[in-house]
Parts: sequence; C-alpha cells; structure tokens
Amino acid sequence: MKQKQKLILFLIAFISLSAYSQNIIRGVITEKSTGNPIPGVNVVIKGTSNGAVSDFDGNYTIEASIGETLVFSYIGFKNLEVVISESTLNIALEEDAATLDEVVIIGYGSASVKDLTGAIEKVTTEDFNPGAITSPEQLITGKTAGVNVIPPSGQPGQGGTISIRGGNSSLSANNSPLVVIDGVPIDQGTTGGNGVAALNSINPNDIESFVVLKDASSTAIYGSRASAGVILITTKSGNLSSPFKVQINTTGSIGMVQRTNDVLNAEQYRQVAVNSQNASLIVPLLGNIDTDWQDEIFQEALGTDSNITLTQGFGSTSYRVSLGYTTQEGLVKTSKFERSSASINLLQKLFDNSLSIDLNLRGALTQDDFANGGALGSASQFDPTQSVFSGSEEFGGYWEWLQPDGTPQPLSPRNPVALLQLLSNTAETERALGNIKFDYNAPFLEGLNANINLGFDYNEVNGVTNTPASSAAGFFSQGSVGDYGSIRRSTLIDAFLNYKKDIESLRSSIELTAGHTFQKFYRKNFNSNTPTVGTSVENSFETQNALESYVTRLRYSYDSRYLLTASYRSDGSSRFSEDNRWGNFFAGALAWNISEENFLKDSNTVSNLKLRLGYGQTGQQEIGVDFGYLPVYVNGADNQQYQLGNTFYNTVRPQGFDENIKWEESETYNIGLDYGFLNDRISGSIEYFTRETNDVLNLIPIPSGTNLTNQLTTNIGDLENSGFEFTITSDIIRKKDFNWNLSFNASYLTNKILKLNIVDDPSFIGVPTGFITGGIGNTVQIHRVGSPQRSFLLFKQVYDTDGRPLEGVYEDLNNDGVIDSGDLYVSENPAADYLFGLSSSASYKNWDLSFTMRASLGNYVYNNVASSTGNEFGLHSLGSNRNVHVSILETGFRNNQLLSDYYLEDASFLKMDNITLGYNFKDILKDDNIGLRLQLTMQNVFTITGYNGIDPEISGGIDNNFFPRPRNIVFGANMNF
Amino acid sequence: MKAIKILNRLTNISTLLIMVMLLLLASCADELDLEPLSAQTSEITFQNLDAYKQFLAKIYGGISLTGQDTSGNFDDIAGINGNFSNYLRLFFTTQELATDESIIAWNDQTIHNIHNHVWTSSDIFITAMYARVYFQIGLVNQFMRETEPGVLDSRGNVDEALREEIAGFRDEARFMRALSYWHGIDMFGDIPLVDENDPVGAFFPEQTSRVEMFNYLESELLDIESRLPNPRQNEYGRADKAFVWMLLAKLYLNAEVYTNTDRYVDALEYTERIINAGYTLVPEYSYLFLADNDSNGAEGEIIYPVLFDGIANGSFGGTTYLVHAAIGGNMNAADFGVNSGWAGLRTTSAFVAKFNDISGNTDSRAKFHTSGQTLEIENPFDFTQGYAVTKYRNVDVNGVIGSDVSGNNVDVNFPMFRLADAYLMYAEIFLRGGGGDASTALLYINLLRERAYGDASGNIAISDLTLDFILDERSRELYWECHRRTDLIRFGQFSDQGIWPWKGNIAAGRTTEKFRDLYPMPSAELNANPNLVPTPGY
Repeated sequence: MKQKQKLILFLIAFISLSAYSQNIIRGVITEKSTGNPIPGVNVVIKGTSNGAVSDFDGNYTIEASIGETLVFSYIGFKNLEVVISESTLNIALEEDAATLDEVVIIGYGSASVKDLTGAIEKVTTEDFNPGAITSPEQLITGKTAGVNVIPPSGQPGQGGTISIRGGNSSLSANNSPLVVIDGVPIDQGTTGGNGVAALNSINPNDIESFVVLKDASSTAIYGSRASAGVILITTKSGNLSSPFKVQINTTGSIGMVQRTNDVLNAEQYRQVAVNSQNASLIVPLLGNIDTDWQDEIFQEALGTDSNITLTQGFGSTSYRVSLGYTTQEGLVKTSKFERSSASINLLQKLFDNSLSIDLNLRGALTQDDFANGGALGSASQFDPTQSVFSGSEEFGGYWEWLQPDGTPQPLSPRNPVALLQLLSNTAETERALGNIKFDYNAPFLEGLNANINLGFDYNEVNGVTNTPASSAAGFFSQGSVGDYGSIRRSTLIDAFLNYKKDIESLRSSIELTAGHTFQKFYRKNFNSNTPTVGTSVENSFETQNALESYVTRLRYSYDSRYLLTASYRSDGSSRFSEDNRWGNFFAGALAWNISEENFLKDSNTVSNLKLRLGYGQTGQQEIGVDFGYLPVYVNGADNQQYQLGNTFYNTVRPQGFDENIKWEESETYNIGLDYGFLNDRISGSIEYFTRETNDVLNLIPIPSGTNLTNQLTTNIGDLENSGFEFTITSDIIRKKDFNWNLSFNASYLTNKILKLNIVDDPSFIGVPTGFITGGIGNTVQIHRVGSPQRSFLLFKQVYDTDGRPLEGVYEDLNNDGVIDSGDLYVSENPAADYLFGLSSSASYKNWDLSFTMRASLGNYVYNNVASSTGNEFGLHSLGSNRNVHVSILETGFRNNQLLSDYYLEDASFLKMDNITLGYNFKDILKDDNIGLRLQLTMQNVFTITGYNGIDPEISGGIDNNFFPRPRNIVFGANMNF
Repeated sequence: MKAIKILNRLTNISTLLIMVMLLLLASCADELDLEPLSAQTSEITFQNLDAYKQFLAKIYGGISLTGQDTSGNFDDIAGINGNFSNYLRLFFTTQELATDESIIAWNDQTIHNIHNHVWTSSDIFITAMYARVYFQIGLVNQFMRETEPGVLDSRGNVDEALREEIAGFRDEARFMRALSYWHGIDMFGDIPLVDENDPVGAFFPEQTSRVEMFNYLESELLDIESRLPNPRQNEYGRADKAFVWMLLAKLYLNAEVYTNTDRYVDALEYTERIINAGYTLVPEYSYLFLADNDSNGAEGEIIYPVLFDGIANGSFGGTTYLVHAAIGGNMNAADFGVNSGWAGLRTTSAFVAKFNDISGNTDSRAKFHTSGQTLEIENPFDFTQGYAVTKYRNVDVNGVIGSDVSGNNVDVNFPMFRLADAYLMYAEIFLRGGGGDASTALLYINLLRERAYGDASGNIAISDLTLDFILDERSRELYWECHRRTDLIRFGQFSDQGIWPWKGNIAAGRTTEKFRDLYPMPSAELNANPNLVPTPGY
C-alpha cells in the first residue's frame, strides 16, 4: 500500500499542465483598512505554479487569461481569490483577525488558538534565534516561559537540554520532554554514541514551528510519555498554488573562547610550589618554561551553514526540497562537526481535495571528530612550567611525565596537546526519519475525517577511536583501537477518526477524536577496545520495547464562550508485566472566553481575555530498563571469567527484578489567563500549575537477601512541583517604516521530594547523587525528603577574621562535638528559582535589529574544578607535578576539602544570547522576484554573573572541566528568487 | 495503467475509512510481549547444560570479579564504583584498613573514616560490604532453587551424570554461602537468615541472632562436609573438605566472640584435620604472593586460593588493587609487574614495630619499602608518609611479569585460607586451653619462623609462646591477608584497647568505643526493612 501510494504521488507531481492564451494582468494591492500599498504579496494563478510578487508600491503584473482565478496571499492577511474579468485588477486585502485564528497542532489534531483550553505555546520561524545553530532546540532558547533550554556546551554538534516546567517530574527516569516530529514521537532514550542529542541531525532550517504543550490537560493525550511535557515540531512544507521559488541561506561564523579555567600560571605555580609541604618533591621536577596549556588547546572555531530550498505548488500538489550542509569546528582543537542533510516534503490532494497525502522524508549524514575527552582536564592540570615538546622523538615528540624507568607515568595527566594531536575519535551518524500521512474527509458525512500516519526513525552511529602506540597514552597497551556505536530504530502506525460538527441551533460545536497507535523501538549499543597487548574489552547491549495506545478526545464549545476538552488515553507498555501493563490517563479542561461575553465583546481595550482550568494525569515509562519486571540471566563478558580447574568460564548471573514495576503517575492542575489588549498589540498569559507525581521510580536499597541485587529501581517516591509563568508581548511601535516588538517571559519554579523510601524513617538521609571528581564516588548532592531534588549536601565552612576559609573547620551543626556526616547540611539546589527571557525585534525601513536575553536567579553551581585541585596536595601526585585552581591562593588548603560549601556559588546570571543586525536589499535590487538580506549576528554576547567558573549555566550544577561555549560572530546571507 | 487502477480502487470512498476502522480496532497487544535481547529467561539459560557450571563460576567469582562486564552497567553491586565494589577489596577495607596494618592516602568518599574509627551506619564502604555478603548469599539461594531435583526433572535434559555433578556443585555453593555468612556475623553481628526456601521479591526478612546464625552455619558445614571431595582432590580453586574444616575451625576459634561460649576443643579438632591433610609450607615466604603462586610451590600451602588472572579478570579489585595501590613514592612499578603505582596503601609505625629488623634480611616477612617514605604519618593523605608494603607482586619467581603484559591486571591468587594460619591457630588454641600439646605448638610456630629467617636463628622457646606473642606473630605472618580485625577483636585489642597511628582520628592514635567491634547495620538496610534494629552504639 505504502509503496504504491508513493508511486502515485511522484507521478502526479510531475504531470505538466496545459496552457491557455495569455494576457498581461496588472494592478495595485492595498491594505483594506488603511489603503497603504502592500509589498511582497504572492499572486498565483490558481491551479498552477505561475505567479508574481507585488513590488514596494504594491504593484504587480502577471501573465494570465481572462476567466482564470488569481490567488492573493500574504502573511497576516486573508487569502483572496478573484476571477479575472479584465486586465486591470486592483485588490484590497483584509487583515486576518490577528493570531487568534492561527491554527495550532495539539497532538493528534489541531485547534485554533481561540479554542485552546490548555497551556500551549507556539514558536514559529520568525521568532527563532538566529546565529550558528546546529541543533534545533537552540532555536527557541529563551523564547517561552517555563521552557528552559540550557544551550549545549561548546562541543560542536552537541544538543542542549530541554526542560519544561523544571523537568523535575521524575528522579531516575527521563526528565526530557517527548519530542514529536510531524506526528512521529522520537525515542526518548539517549541516542548513544557520545550522548549527542536526538535532535541534532534535524536541520534547524527545515523547522516551521515548535508547539510546546506544558500543562497536563494538553499533554495527557500522550499519556505515559507526557509527564515531562511534549514538544511538537512541524517541519516546513510547500504551499499549494505557489510559484517556483529558490531560497538560499548561508552563514559563516567564527567562534572564540570567552573564558578559561582559572588555574595558576607558571610564575604563580613556582611560587606556590616552593612554599608547599611537598616542595622537596615538586621543585626538582619544575621546568623553566611558561606554558598556558589552555591556550595551547583552544582555537578560533570556524563554521559554515548553507541551505538551499526549492518550493513549488500546483493546484493539488506541492513540494519542498531542501539540502543543507553544515560544518562547525569546536573551540578545542581537532573537534569538528559536519552534517549533510536533505529533506523532501510532498503534498498531494486527491478526489476534490478530500484525500490529502503528506509525505515527509529527511536524512542526514553527520561526521563528528571528537576532541579527546581528557584534554580539557589535562590542560587545567598540566604543569605550566613544562614545554609542549620534549625535543626527543619519543611519545610523538611531546613532553610527558615519566616513571623512574623512563616509561610514562600512567596515572599522571597526559600532555593535552598530544592527546588532541595523536589520539582520534571519529564517528559517523546516519539518520533517516519520515512519515506519510493520509488524511481523508469522508464525503458522505460532513466533518468526518480519517487519518493514517505511518512513520519511522532510524539512527545509526559508528565510531572509531585510535590510540597509537607512539603516544604516551598508548604506551603500555602498545596502541589500541576501539569501535563503538549504536542503532536506534522505531516504527509507528497511527489510525485516527475525527468528527467535527457545528450545531448552530444549539450554538455548539463539537469535535470527537478517537485513535489507535502502536510504536515499536529497537536499540543497540556496542563498544570494544582492543589493545595490542593486554585485555580486550567488548560490550554490547541490545533491547526493544513497544507501546500500544488507544486515544480519545472530546472538544466542545458553546457559543465560543465556554470551551471544554476531555481526553482519555490507555497505554500498554511492554516494559511492565501483564498485571501492570495498561495505564489510563485522563484529562479535562475548561475555558471561558470572557472577551466573547457581551460586556467585553465590543471593548476596544480588551481584545482577548480567556480563563483556563485544566487537570490531567500523565505517566512516565522511560524508566531506564526494558525488562525490569522479568527474571532473567545475563552472560558475563570475556574479561569477567572465573577459573575452575584449568578452564576459564564465562559466568551467568541472575538479574534482580521487580515484578511489580509500573508507571510513574503525575497529576497536574493548571490555571491560566490569556489576555490581549488594544487589538492584541499587547498580549500574553499568566499560568499557575501544581503537579504531584506518585510511584516515582527510584533506585533504592532493598532488604538484602530478598532479591538478586542490593538496589532496585522501584516505584516508591512522591514528588511535588509547582510554578508560575508570565508572558507579555507587545508591538510597541507599529508604523510603516518603523516596527518594534518586545516579548518578555518569566517563570518561577519550585520542587520538593515528598517520599523516597519504603519505611518512612525521619533519620533516612536520602539518596546521594551528583558525583564529582576528586576521589572516586564522592557526591555533593542528595535527594532528600522535604527538599528540592539534587539539593547540595555540604559542610558549612568556618572562616577566619580575614574571611579566609579555615581548612577542615566546619560548623558543628548538630552540636554533638564532632564533625561528621551528621553535620552535612542541605542548602541550595542547581535549579533556578526564577527564569526570565526577553526578546526584542525592531525594524526601520530596510534595517532590522533583534536580540534575545535570558536571566536566571537562584541557580547554584558547585565549582568542582576549584575543589578537586585547589590545594597543596594537588600540586604533586604519583611522581608528577600538577597545576591547581587559583582558589589555593585564597584558601591555602593543604588537602582537598571536597565537601566544603566554600565551593558552592550562586550562579545567577544575565546573558545576552544573541544580537542580530540585518539589512534587506529589496529597495536596491528593485526586482520583486529577487530578495536578498544580509545579517550579522553575535552569539553569547555577554554574561553577567557572580559565579567564578567558566560559565554559570551548568546543567546539573556541578562544574567540572566544562567544554566552554564559544562567542560566535556570524555573517549570514539570505537569498530567494 | 496499474496506477490508474489503484486510483480507481481508491475512489471507492470507503477503502481508507475501512482501513482506519480496522487499524482502530485491531489490537497489537501480543506485540507487547517482548523478549529481552541481551539477557535470557531462566528457561532459555538452562537449555545450555554448561550454564550450571557457569553459574557456579559466578558464585566463586563473586569474590574476585565485579560484575558481568566492565562497562559499569552490569556491576553486581549498585551504589558504589564498580572497582570499589569488589568483594575482596571491600573485605580488605573492613579487615585491614581499620587496623594498624594498613592506611590509605586517597580521598574517596568516606574511606578515611575506616582507619580513623569514625565510620557511621551510612558509610558507603560498609554498606557495600554488607551488600556484597548478601549478593553472594542471594546468588547461592538462586542456584539452589534452579538446581532442585524437581526443577531439574522438569527441564527434562539433565542426565544422571550431570545430575550427580550438580549435586556436588550444590554443596560447594553452600560452602560459599557459609563463607559469606561467616563474614557477615563476624563484621555485623545479628543479621537476617535467608535461604533458598525464601521467595525472590518484596518481603522483610527477620533479624537472626549471632548465636542462631552460628548454629545454622555449623549445621550447614557439618552437613556438606561428608560429601565434599577430600582435601586437594577437587579441581583447582574449588571447595573440598579442607575448605569446610578451616571455616569450621575459624567459627569455633571465634565462638566466644560470636556466642559467648568457647569452642576451642572443636576448633582444635578441625585445625588438626587441616594440618594432617597433606599441605606443606612453601620454602620461600614471598612465593605465596607472586603471580605464579598457583605453581611455584605456594599451591601446596594455600588451602583456598581466590583466583585472579590478568587476562580473564579485567577489573581493578582484589589483588590487582593490592599490588597497584601499594606502589607509590619512588617505588618502581615495573619491579612489581605492573605499569603503575596508585599510591594508596601503606602501613603504620605500629605494625612496623612488630619487627625487630625491618630490612627483611633476618625475618624475610618484613617486606617494606622505606626509601623516600617516613615512618610516622603526619598527613594520612600523603603516600610517602608511612612505610610502603611490598608483599604482593605480579611477577613470578624469576621476576617475569604476569599474563597481562600491559601491566594493568595481575595473576596473583589471594590466599583466603592457608596452612600457616592453621599452625598459628593450633598454637593459639593450645594456649587458650583447647587441647593439643606445647611441643607441637612450638614446632608449628618455629616451622614458620625457620621459613621466615631461612634458619633456626629466629626460633622461639616455649617460654616465649604466649597469647600476646601469637597475636603479633599472626600479624607478622598474615598481614594484609584480611585476618587482622577478627584477630584484634578476639584478643580484645581492636576498639577500647589497642592504639595505633590515626586510630580515633588523631595522629598519635587513641582507643575508640567498644561498639566499634561490630560494623553497623547499614542505614540503607534499616530504611528498607522495618524488621531490623540498629546495631547498638550507632
């Protein structure tokens, strides 16, 4: 079926259209309300792709025949169709009643903005962040309230972290929102292969809009995957009846290091070393060079991004083809990201437009060169008095720490430049995803619509690492090679019926949706490392899961004033035993369009006022294990054998399991108020939500001896989240030559753990989390009942009269006379209390200027770079000198004091993410069929913060050799003809 | 043409509608019954008849391995770094680091609290040790369930010969369970008793008293003893009667600590059985701790070797840890058959003082590295403070490195039980009035001293043979072999008596609270199981 349909599509797409006798038709297009001319209006002969565009004075000319129909279209105005009766045709276009009639995808359907009952935000192309953007989520950073996109680190090609409303609906399960691309939910598991984000092989240039479903009344339609919110991505497609258009975008960027780790320079190092307790060990090893190792590993990073898009639309067919090519170097030498992508969208209407077939196919080939992961840490720790090169041939010519016998000291930092230049780690990612959607309006019953969506997603990563024998890192193994990779595959079948009916006699409209969906996932990870000598390691893991769901939704509106939405989803997951397999998720929402009431209907001041109330149940089944309910055996690897007699045996081990494992379930209440004043020149919304999550999965200790492991992931905890959100958008200036729009959003978020264990024991300290470097297994955070997630758990530092921290002296908070783990206290947490976003876009004649700023208040970061190295003991270890953090100059610590709250800092910040200046050449070109716009963008313009480390915006709140984000200067050109 | 036909078919208005209706109603529920791909159900696992022995290998390997691979995703124990979680490494921490014999430089979690005697019930290492003990017990219980005669019958593919072999496996598995239970009552006191008759899943085991557990262990060991092969008659590394005798002898020797009732007479009986079982001292003390201690003569002295192999065991626990972690300062890692030192473990001056001559020239058991090291420890975090110990080395008698020539993992087998220990036990039991005779006791002690000194110059007289001497001699002979804490407690010298550097968290050392003779029931257990009570004092 699928194959044949595709064939038909292609056939129809290339049918040529018959010709008519042609006349020149001309006229002026004006705005109906003001009479001002409108430039840039599309004029197309209906049923063809022949068209023209109005010039700056609203004039158009087009070759057409009397009797044909012209279609006039322009964003913000209603489309107009006019049958040609004479050769002059002046047109007045009517303004579209603002954005309220805008249609928003809501998950298995769509609705107009004025009919929405949930907390839903839409971000479209014109609002997207500009600049050198390789991963789509960066397009909406700072644009919506309650959605926090932490930009990726400076590692090229990496994706950011998205959290909706704090993303704290779970402890151990996934807290990332469900992402749905053109109706196909993407595997929520990590992608594998260096943790590169699931979205980064989607070309950002192909994205039309993001719709963020925030409250549970809107997300519950996605049931067991919706607790962390849902993001619906719609990709661009062609328009019917539009002329052939070529659009070319190209940008070039250069990225620079903003800030590096504050470690001692050579002179400081010598000084500190001479006076330290281990001076006798350190001083003989000192070199006489002055090397800034961070300088040695960073570079100016160049990037390019080019896209070409072809679109054309006929009467019942349209297509869009886009090709993209992106290269992005990283700030760390040898790191690079390269992506080639292609996408095709075909739309075909059949049978008097009753059947529409929509095909999306996209593919991307990504080539990653990963800089050696140890180089950043080494650069902070390598002795600044040593030189990069040794002068000898050994170890690739690089200077290294050696043992007395001349072999490299294996546990010393390796020369970071050698790590970058000699070792390699490259990966190739193939990604293909697509869907074909059949949408059929049944002719025998008006309003009945049947819909089938078939989708797939395929992602394959293949990586190779190489550590040559000539490098110090490869000395003992005499070189090693490694392979790693992953495969992610999913297939989807959706079938839906939708029935919509306006009952005018009752002033009601009703819409019913019912559907059945099935999605299956397969994942495989593998890695191996084969040294020339020594033990080879080979690990591989393969798994699968499936999800089947029945979905229904009712939407009812009375007199456009009172709106009701109710939905119900039943989800079956292969991850649970048959007894727990099915979960039911209900949601309901009410909205009152107050502005439709008589007392406001004619108000010139209040153009929109809507009160919304919502309730929803959602679940979480991304629990990290696929067969946690089944007793199974796992085979042992070849390097975990045991000898019995003269034979080595691979082992088998029974796995611990929880046969009762099930969904995490959340209940969310939401109240929201949408407002619009002065014909929506000022608009926005206010939201409050509160969410309680039960049966939260947590890895907890279980009674020893009762199972085959000591800790088990089981449904045990309760969590609470709540928050306020506020948005306001205003067209401050709206003139012919001068426009200025300003948007602001703010959110306040808080979360608390209510329950964590089987036994409600007040002495239970909680579940440690937040691993740090400096020793092995040390943690600085805790999940504790009564506190927010990942709260820091540290000792309270005591300071001397000069304000210097006293080494090892902490407050005896429990007054028992000794300083022990009982004196650790819960203080702050890494989540921000308040998040703000501000976007401004202004245009004056052909110039435009826009910027995005973000601020975060109350987010704390533990400076692990300082805590792990900033002490005298860190100056020397295992026969090698090591550089340390400058905090040693203040603290004078001898040993590391990892659990001192001295290292916990308020990392509130204000950032300007980007600023863009653009110029449109339409006046100069004087040709309506050609457009050219140039722009200059700066990304990561400035950061104002009290935090002392590289960057205050650290996901998880532990700063440890963060790959710095670059400050980019981006030059872009945008052409269409 | 074909396309047009299809088009015509599609014009039939209901085709798509019917499809949608079908898809709407068709259930895929069967598709939700998926099978794991990287693991197998019990049924499939035991279709492979080798699986029984592979499971037995897992039980033995529970002491030396860390999990099913080294990725960190299949560690046996959760809540702790995989390499830290190794049974023997944790056992060394609880038995040696807490004593005068060993101190560590690293700053890993609460590791210093062990030597400093300030550990709490939430200590990660103590919690992991407890978890390791019960992981072993859980493995054996599951092995017993999977190999019950009725279960074997139901599988229909186990022939008589294999059935008999499996019966032997079951007795060996029960020995391994008893070994861990012994570690459990030795370290933690009253602990729950769970066996194969308990279910797998959510229930709360009752705490069992140390006395009850002692009686259970005694009956378990006496039951399997008769059926196990004679000493040194089983495959290398597998349990025989001598394993059981040694464990019984140790239970009886410490019975007064465990049950307040002494059992020295029984201890003597089983100690004598071991001594008369044909084991012989290896001529060179140092050979016991080398990479070829399975073939250099040491195999004749070691009763229960925990097996390690540089190629087959890729984790950083056990003897790999004992070799690497003891190297630092100006020591040359290559001399120890490894590629690097980890600069962690040293010893205290209190232990060094047990030797009159620390050079090793007279008593060859004094294996210290002193160059670049200080005797006293002012900063415990500095490896170069405190003498280094050179006992375990990954080279053979000729100095040739072990099988992993990259120098990461070692071949040294760990002597869990060995003959020299039985000799010392005999003398101690005699002195404690359990029977035996003075001249035999003296003979056994002098056999050890003659080996250590190379001649009779170090021999002692009967008048020297006192309990205090035995405690010190045990330390000189058996240091870093995970006996010290148990010995100190039996001699009353672990907590409220006995002082060594950094005990009690001060450089000079001081006595600590008596309750520290037991490690605490981990708070993780108390939170998980309402039937457990906290260990007194914690």
